[in-house]
Amino acid sequence: MLDDGLSPMAGGTDLLVPGRKAAGRGVALLEGLPGLDGVAMTAQGLRLGALASLAALERHPVIRERLPVLAQAIACLGSPLIRNMGTMGGNLVTASPAGDTLPALLVLEAVVELASRDGRRHLPVAEFLLGPGRTALGPGEIVAAVRIALPPPGASQHFEKVGRRDALAIAVASLAALIVRDEAGRVVEARLAVGSLAPTARRCPSAEAALPGRRLDREALLEAGRRIRDEISPKGDLRATAAYRREMAGRLPLRLLTLA
Amino acid sequence: MDADRDKGASPGAPRVDALDKACGRQRYAADETPPGCLLAGVKRAGIPHGRIVRLDTAAARAVPGVVTVLTRADVPGTNRQGIVHKDQPVLCGQRVRHHGDPVALVVAENKDALAAGLAAVEVAFEALPAVFDPEEALSPNAPLVHPDREGGNLLAHGLMEKGDAESALAGCDVVVAGRFATPAQDHVSLEPPNGLARLAPSGRLTMVVSTQAPFRDRFEIAQALGLDPQRIRIRAPYLGGGFGGKDGATVQCLLALAALRLPGRWIKMAWSREETFLAGYKRHAAVMDIRLGARADGTLEAIACAMCFDAGPYAHLSGEIMELGMEHAGGPYRIPHVRIEGSCAYTNNPVGGAFRGFGVVQACFAVERAMDMLARRLGRAPESLRLQNALRPGETSAVGVAAEPGTDVAACLNAALAHPLWTGREAWKQAAPAFTRRGVGLVAVQNAMGYGRGLPDHATAKLELTRQGTFRLYNSVPDMGQGNAAAFVAMAAQALGQPEAAVACVQPDTAACPPAGSSSASRTVYTFGNALLRACRTMAEKLRNRAALALLCDTPDRLVLTPGGVSDPATGRFVPLSVLAGFLIRDDRICIDQFVMPVVENPPDTGREFKLGFPHRYFTYGACLCGVEADELTGRVRLVQCLLTVACGKVFTLAGVEQQLAGAAAQGAGLALFEELALEGGRIRAGDLSTYLIPTSLDLPDIDCLPLPDDEPSGPLGIKGMGEVGIHGPGPAVAQALFDAVGLDAASLPITPEVVLAALEELTP
Ligand SMILES: Cc1cc2nc3c(=O)[nH]c(=O)nc-3n(C[C@H](O)[C@H](O)[C@H](O)COP(=O)(O)OP(=O)(O)OC[C@H]3O[C@@H](n4cnc5c(N)ncnc54)[C@H](O)[C@@H]3O)c2cc1C
Repeated sequence: MLDDGLSPMAGGTDLLVPGRKAAGRGVALLEGLPGLDGVAMTAQGLRLGALASLAALERHPVIRERLPVLAQAIACLGSPLIRNMGTMGGNLVTASPAGDTLPALLVLEAVVELASRDGRRHLPVAEFLLGPGRTALGPGEIVAAVRIALPPPGASQHFEKVGRRDALAIAVASLAALIVRDEAGRVVEARLAVGSLAPTARRCPSAEAALPGRRLDREALLEAGRRIRDEISPKGDLRATAAYRREMAGRLPLRLLTLA
Repeated sequence: MDADRDKGASPGAPRVDALDKACGRQRYAADETPPGCLLAGVKRAGIPHGRIVRLDTAAARAVPGVVTVLTRADVPGTNRQGIVHKDQPVLCGQRVRHHGDPVALVVAENKDALAAGLAAVEVAFEALPAVFDPEEALSPNAPLVHPDREGGNLLAHGLMEKGDAESALAGCDVVVAGRFATPAQDHVSLEPPNGLARLAPSGRLTMVVSTQAPFRDRFEIAQALGLDPQRIRIRAPYLGGGFGGKDGATVQCLLALAALRLPGRWIKMAWSREETFLAGYKRHAAVMDIRLGARADGTLEAIACAMCFDAGPYAHLSGEIMELGMEHAGGPYRIPHVRIEGSCAYTNNPVGGAFRGFGVVQACFAVERAMDMLARRLGRAPESLRLQNALRPGETSAVGVAAEPGTDVAACLNAALAHPLWTGREAWKQAAPAFTRRGVGLVAVQNAMGYGRGLPDHATAKLELTRQGTFRLYNSVPDMGQGNAAAFVAMAAQALGQPEAAVACVQPDTAACPPAGSSSASRTVYTFGNALLRACRTMAEKLRNRAALALLCDTPDRLVLTPGGVSDPATGRFVPLSVLAGFLIRDDRICIDQFVMPVVENPPDTGREFKLGFPHRYFTYGACLCGVEADELTGRVRLVQCLLTVACGKVFTLAGVEQQLAGAAAQGAGLALFEELALEGGRIRAGDLSTYLIPTSLDLPDIDCLPLPDDEPSGPLGIKGMGEVGIHGPGPAVAQALFDAVGLDAASLPITPEVVLAALEELTP
């Protein structure tokens, strides 16, 4: 069916919005295909089926416990109705700069499992997202799952979305963080990713490099913020000006001061 | 009967429309699509101002499924709609004056043909210079929106004066001056404007419309299309929201035109959300300059206020809205010297029109902000300055009308001051979590009830005893969701001693119900309720008298209506209503009565420009407390506490009062923090619900509502109108709370995170 130019459809919450891609084109329902649903524990970590609803993922005990950054990101996506229908596969393939799960998947170093008639391949999320609405999905290919290795239990995880209201709001800016610290509270590893501040959600390697060896104090976080500002290219729109977004980039890391 | 005045409706009982609405069974105008019904749609200008140089409908007519395409040339009559001033074309012939102006009407057999037909209408414009700022519009060189009109872009102007404001200001110990602005706002009714029309072979035009004013619509349609209003029948089923956006023609004239050209066919028009943004009425954006003066001890001496309203290109009710704004510009305060000037300017922005709060939202924001400035200048707490100057019964209002007896605004403020949200506010602020600053604001509000002097605020109620011995009440004032129909049923049931299930309610239908004014102006339950209770009294008396015959009782006054019948307490005998009804001819089973709201008896000699609607006699008072949290990192503001205290006469149903107050406060919160049309060159950039953000349930706190003991002797069961008063508080109270939290002194709405962040920057160097 995909050969005939039909669009694969999961929850339809992007595809069926009038005036978007699907208008006039047929859709191929992915629902019911084996292996696309559910969450499975594997030796490498978790495998999240592309068709699992965002609501199901948000509720999943292992995700809540071990991947809180993802659970938090999903919790502020759309509304309960959207999360009941929408899927992570759809959020990935939509590849919006504001896609809420994407910064979380980036700091979790998630890998996208792609399937087609010719077999399966795996791509890190960072390589899967090419630009606004553009992905590395090949013709005839679908997203089958997202694979995530469980981060160390002591890692601190954090997600914040800045929207203009508390539900049904497209992100003005977002920050996902995964921080591993030693017993003395010094950062061992920092992963930071932002949304809505560049053509795709993206990691901020220069900001990440500012943190190891330091405590998460105000100064260190302001330094990370300054570096994020240098790594992004925000645009202005109805929701916020570019200047405000740049301001957010510099300030959002400060929230990590509240991490336990 | 008098004992009943102290009884509300049975507490806890759900309103009669609740179950049908919760189950999706309630039928709205939008749900009616007769078989074979055609669909009508409008080709709109898409430019702010221009001359139509070419309009070619041939291609559109040729689209399969398109039944007809109508233009100005097909419009009989004046082609001018409007409630008071008739200046809005049904279809534009030569000139378009805003993006949403209609240039052609396409009628088709189905949705796809309609869309294709609309796309195939060819129209070319010569762009004309346009004006988007109401103050600029009033300058001598501004482009004219109606070139031939005497008075240019000045649609209306008025003055309300008391004493001598200029001299008094000159003698004040302190004078503060400020310029305040409030934005345009969309109603965002769940059900967009829509309706149905059919011209019968008899020549009678039947319409079903989502409208707040079915009786008046007939005249608006008749005038625009040269028809006989007596030959137009309009039904108004329950509305899925109105808020003023359906007070005045939306689809009516266009549908009627289509029906005239396609006799015998049902024709339906339903605006999409986007079309409603584009073509629907908006709350007027306004700019207000205030100078407020007081003695050193805080006693208010004088206010001078100039209000300028952006009417858009057509009058709608702009002058009347401005009037009400001006009448409220002095706030619920005692001010001896007052000068309030108002102007309304034509522009090429979207059309300004009625919206819950009707000019008062604008005025209230400005005067409450000015009170805050004055309090600061005097080193006084904002609430104490308000209390000191609160208007008391018998004192004259800013425009010189004596305040009616009853619970006053000081009582509303005091009730808020005694509430835990106020008494506990310091502790609450201290307990703010990291990166969060909290603040609390408290303002006073008021809202007039009814149309005001010069425009009789009337309603006629019809009540029928059915042959089965139940009752049918004919509601003449549309229920747009505010619950008036349910209140009428409860009132009638109580007055007739029957369970609510024994009272059916017919929704407004100009062919079956006697006339009444519109569903607007916080007047609905007051005016129609009074008419209905009169009809109920006549009915009860009639039934006691007729029962007396059957019960062989010489003193009918002794008899009482009890469920299903009339009883004689002295003998225990009972005659069923079904038996009584069987003996009456239909004429005898019907009682009709009417009511007109009393007006100010000795109006002050000012506001002479306002022949209709000045001044108002009855006011509902309130106070609004808002507690906000501002995030130090993002500037996001959350409204986390909201309390409304009101004096609105007796409470008939607490749930009804709470629903109105909470809904109004939510709309006020939207105006305060979220809603922005983002106009650019007259074009709405935020023209759908993904960009025009109204608050969701997560963005609103539980809204505490505290109606105070009060009584309005002229009201049905002691009530006063309260559908609007709740909307005014959140704007100024949130602004005051943000001053408390972060030192931001907001002079305009909505307050955006950017602005809050800038204020925070100033706090933390
Ligand atoms: C009212 C509303 C609010 C929203 N709020 C948010 C928000 O706050 N944050 C946010 O990030 N998003 C939001 N969205 C967007 C949307 O809900 C999410 O992107 C969601 O994750 C999409 O999932 P879906 O299953 O519905 O995708 P669909 O609509 O089914 O598909 C989206 C795209 O992905 C493709 N696709 C879907 N699944 C696969 C697959 N397995 N393999 C290959 N291609 C696939 C489709 O062909 C289509 O191109 C909102 C949408 C709406 C309507």
